[in-house]
Amino acid sequence: MRVLILGLAISFAASRAHADKPVAAAPKPKTVLNPAPRPKDWAALAKLPDWSGVWNPNISDQNAQVKSNPTPWKPEVVPQIQKLEAAEKSGNPKGLFVDCLPEAMPSWMLITHNALEILYTPGRVTILGESDGNRLRRIYTDGRAHPEDPDPTFHGHSIGRWEGETLVVDTVGILPQSYLAVSESVGVPNNGDLHIVERWHLAEADILVDEIEITAPHVLSKPWKTTRKYFRQRARKYDLMEGVCLQGYFSEKTDADGNAIFEPIPQTEGGNPVPPEK
Amino acid sequence: MKFWSLVSLLLISTLPALAHHSFAMFDFNKVAKAHAVVQEFRWTNPHVVLLIKVESGEVPAGKTWSLELTSPGNLTRTGWSRKSFKAGDVIDVEFNPLRDGRQGGAFRKASIPATGVVLESNIRAQEKPGLE
Repeated sequence: MRVLILGLAISFAASRAHADKPVAAAPKPKTVLNPAPRPKDWAALAKLPDWSGVWNPNISDQNAQVKSNPTPWKPEVVPQIQKLEAAEKSGNPKGLFVDCLPEAMPSWMLITHNALEILYTPGRVTILGESDGNRLRRIYTDGRAHPEDPDPTFHGHSIGRWEGETLVVDTVGILPQSYLAVSESVGVPNNGDLHIVERWHLAEADILVDEIEITAPHVLSKPWKTTRKYFRQRARKYDLMEGVCLQGYFSEKTDADGNAIFEPIPQTEGGNPVPPEK
Repeated sequence: MKFWSLVSLLLISTLPALAHHSFAMFDFNKVAKAHAVVQEFRWTNPHVVLLIKVESGEVPAGKTWSLELTSPGNLTRTGWSRKSFKAGDVIDVEFNPLRDGRQGGAFRKASIPATGVVLESNIRAQEKPGLE
């Protein structure tokens, strides 16, 4: 009898446990807070190297780099690149960015002709660019890791750490559709699994260098190490201005009611305004 | 170095900045000169555009041409502003025409005889820090 009662009790307890199982709430994930910066966090920024001002890309050096340190495209990608280069050479370039989607990472760093600025706040470095609608990169320097499965974005998820006066930035989570481009008309979609490591540092008082290592297993045969240089302006007239890519596709007009309006300008496939015919 | 190689090298080194699209559609081995009237000056990113009506010069008179430039930010480094041109300004202009013969070009240089102002679009000469 005792055995029977014990058995029933165990069975009851087991069935209760079973009944309770769906009800038992999964442990709530701990909310991760971004803590309010303390005065010492703000004070720590003063010890970082001075990267204030406006940084212009050295375009001549960009072009020279592409020739002196060519991209190690995978053999199966090479014909696509050759076709795009031939189109560019013949005067019918394919406009990779004429839809005004962001040049994305790493192409922004590789081919931009527009200025950028770099801001420090506690736990973060922010790079603001002039083109593509004043795009930006948020680089978290608060010690966090990348998310396990980041939402793919044009500029990816970036974490950074300071090694002395060098900012080391690690970027993942970039949209596979975004281009790995060496010019506005030569490049291919990265096709996923892109990983970028950058080392930003001052080479001279007013020359900032971005040493970039790009691992793009679907389009590159090996990681590509390349360098881009920026030179600094401090005169206020060179401050970054707004850069809304699509604005160039409109002309400023006045409508029949006297309103100031934007009127679309027809574009060619290459992204130029359609030339006038009259 | 052969003469034409040197010329093309010099021309390539003075290409305007290609902000968001390639400028390969323009023929940088050709320079056209024209006396023209400004119709519209679009001071916008990613490319500044100057619309002109040609009065005389190396391209047919009476036609409107669309001349493209780099971005406002880059042109500011060479002394430009959104007020550099206004509709009605009479200018002497040089540009690299489109290769396909249509009425478009890459702006190189213009002077406004009424004011004596000369504006160029070569930003490569300003690839250095600390400009004033």
